[in-house]
Amino acid sequence: MNGRRLLTDYMALALVIAGLVLIFGVSTQNFLQFGTFRNIANQIPDAMVVAVGMTFVLIIGGIDLSVGSVLGLGSAVLGVCLVRFELPLPVAIAACLATGLACGILNGLVIVRWRLPSFIVTLGMLEVASGATYILTQSRTVYVGEPIERVSEVAAFGLSLPFMLAIAVVVAGQFALSGTVFGRHALALGANAESARLSGIRTRALTVSVFALSGVLASLAGMMQCSRLGASDPNAGIGFELQAIAAVVIGGTSLMGGRGSVVNSFFGVIIIAVLAVGLATLGAQESTKRLVTGGVIVAAVILDYYRHRLNKA
Amino acid sequence: MKGTAAAALVFCVILGGCGGQNAGPAAPGAPAKPRIALIMKSLANEFFLTMEQGAKNHQAAHSAEYDLICNGIKDELDVNRQIQLVENMVSQGVQAIVIAPADSKALVAACKKAQDAGVVVVNIDNKLDDAVLAERGIKIPFVGPDNRKGAKTAADFLATKLQPGDPVAIVEGVPTAFNGIQRKLGFEDAMNGAGMKIVTSQSGSWEMAKANQVVAAMITEHPELKAVLCANDSMALGAVAALRSASKVGQVLVIGYDGISAVRERIKDGSILATIEQHADQLAVFGIEYALEMIKTKAAPADRETPVDLVTAENNP
Repeated sequence: MNGRRLLTDYMALALVIAGLVLIFGVSTQNFLQFGTFRNIANQIPDAMVVAVGMTFVLIIGGIDLSVGSVLGLGSAVLGVCLVRFELPLPVAIAACLATGLACGILNGLVIVRWRLPSFIVTLGMLEVASGATYILTQSRTVYVGEPIERVSEVAAFGLSLPFMLAIAVVVAGQFALSGTVFGRHALALGANAESARLSGIRTRALTVSVFALSGVLASLAGMMQCSRLGASDPNAGIGFELQAIAAVVIGGTSLMGGRGSVVNSFFGVIIIAVLAVGLATLGAQESTKRLVTGGVIVAAVILDYYRHRLNKA
Repeated sequence: MKGTAAAALVFCVILGGCGGQNAGPAAPGAPAKPRIALIMKSLANEFFLTMEQGAKNHQAAHSAEYDLICNGIKDELDVNRQIQLVENMVSQGVQAIVIAPADSKALVAACKKAQDAGVVVVNIDNKLDDAVLAERGIKIPFVGPDNRKGAKTAADFLATKLQPGDPVAIVEGVPTAFNGIQRKLGFEDAMNGAGMKIVTSQSGSWEMAKANQVVAAMITEHPELKAVLCANDSMALGAVAALRSASKVGQVLVIGYDGISAVRERIKDGSILATIEQHADQLAVFGIEYALEMIKTKAAPADRETPVDLVTAENNP
């Protein structure tokens, strides 16, 4: 990647973020403070890791609508293991991640076995996982408290452990995409499934592993959310899939597959988070928040269209 | 559509094991027991689940007096399905319908049809819209809590812990929900009455994570904030999590609404000041008792208020 490419690839989104920070900085009293940036860093780890998984899913030309409810299920499994079964923390976390992995593998297997569109299969999983969450929690908020809160309190340089973990996931995700066979094959599969298969890529195994990755990252996000809130909310993650898809598409990953960047998805997550925190700092009404958020999402995607044209020129 | 609804109904009755199915046939010679249909909102919500369980327990204890058929909908927005349920119950010939409407306007027409067919209709939880009821020329009694009064009770207690002029913030429910609007009004009544300054009021969409995000921003912008008033308990938990990451637990007081068990834990450890108990387990029971009374006496419908009680560290079991 040459210098000019790097500039156009990352600069546009960084400019949007800088613009938003500037607008909120001048229109509120205390937005430009360490507290705001700590808030954002504490709140985005779950969105970051889900966006990494979603980036790979979109790159292979799929979509995963189940991430929000798998997040909720992961959080519920963790809460119930800790509170009702009184299991040690590492075991509970393992159960949480295994649940997400299982959901993702199941998604992938159903998709490749019957050649079904991932849209409908993961829509089914969305319902199944939230039903399972209600059964598991008996539709009640599971109060966990201290044992899980400790995970979020471990900090260095004022940053929480989940945030550092999420950064590690983003870095590893970008490396996997641009530096490994797995990433190159995923891009090839998304660009043209038939020619990918003919060139000897094991497309079915690849598809299953991408959905498995998305599932396990969604449950990791569930663990992060549970540790931040100190409780498992049976309604956690409702609508989270759309937020994740928006962040990834803002980052320039194509909904048609074959093109994408994990780091840019991370920028997409930051844009949505800065907007949410900024509008709340302003004290904006719910109607205004929705109008502005919707507008910025579309504007960012239009910006991406021009960035792309610039790159081709 | 009708077929689906009927199939779903049969499925629900089999799975749900509503008391009515276990009650067995009435003794020969005795007058037939009234059958009462309970039509709920989303059974995925702790509050309505508790309500339904309370009704089932009541029926089990009074199985000689009436039979019960319970139904719920998938989520609180599934208005069409609830209208179908009302129609189904009328054609099944129940004597009374006790309903928690998913929409305070859209359900009025279905309830009128039921009344026209001679079915006693009692409205619980979410009040049907007065203007629409008047326009249709019907009266349906409402049995339920006064959300505005409950919210004011909690906020009045909070005011005793604050100084006049202290800045406070409100976390609202979904902006379109009637009970959420009432709770916000109740909070405002108490805070304005006690001379507090409401510096911001925003929606937390009833959700823990959303409220967490909103409250985190509120305390950054208004570091002098002394209290956060939340329109339900999930959002109060989200608020406490935000205070914890800003190391402000105890400095900023939090109140909630609903009395869920997770919040009772937080009241014990002092991070939440108070919540409101609406006796969810009794709400549907009040409606059923009222319906039985109306079947017997044919009395003219009047509204009946159910209790809302303050829960604090002193009376939290």
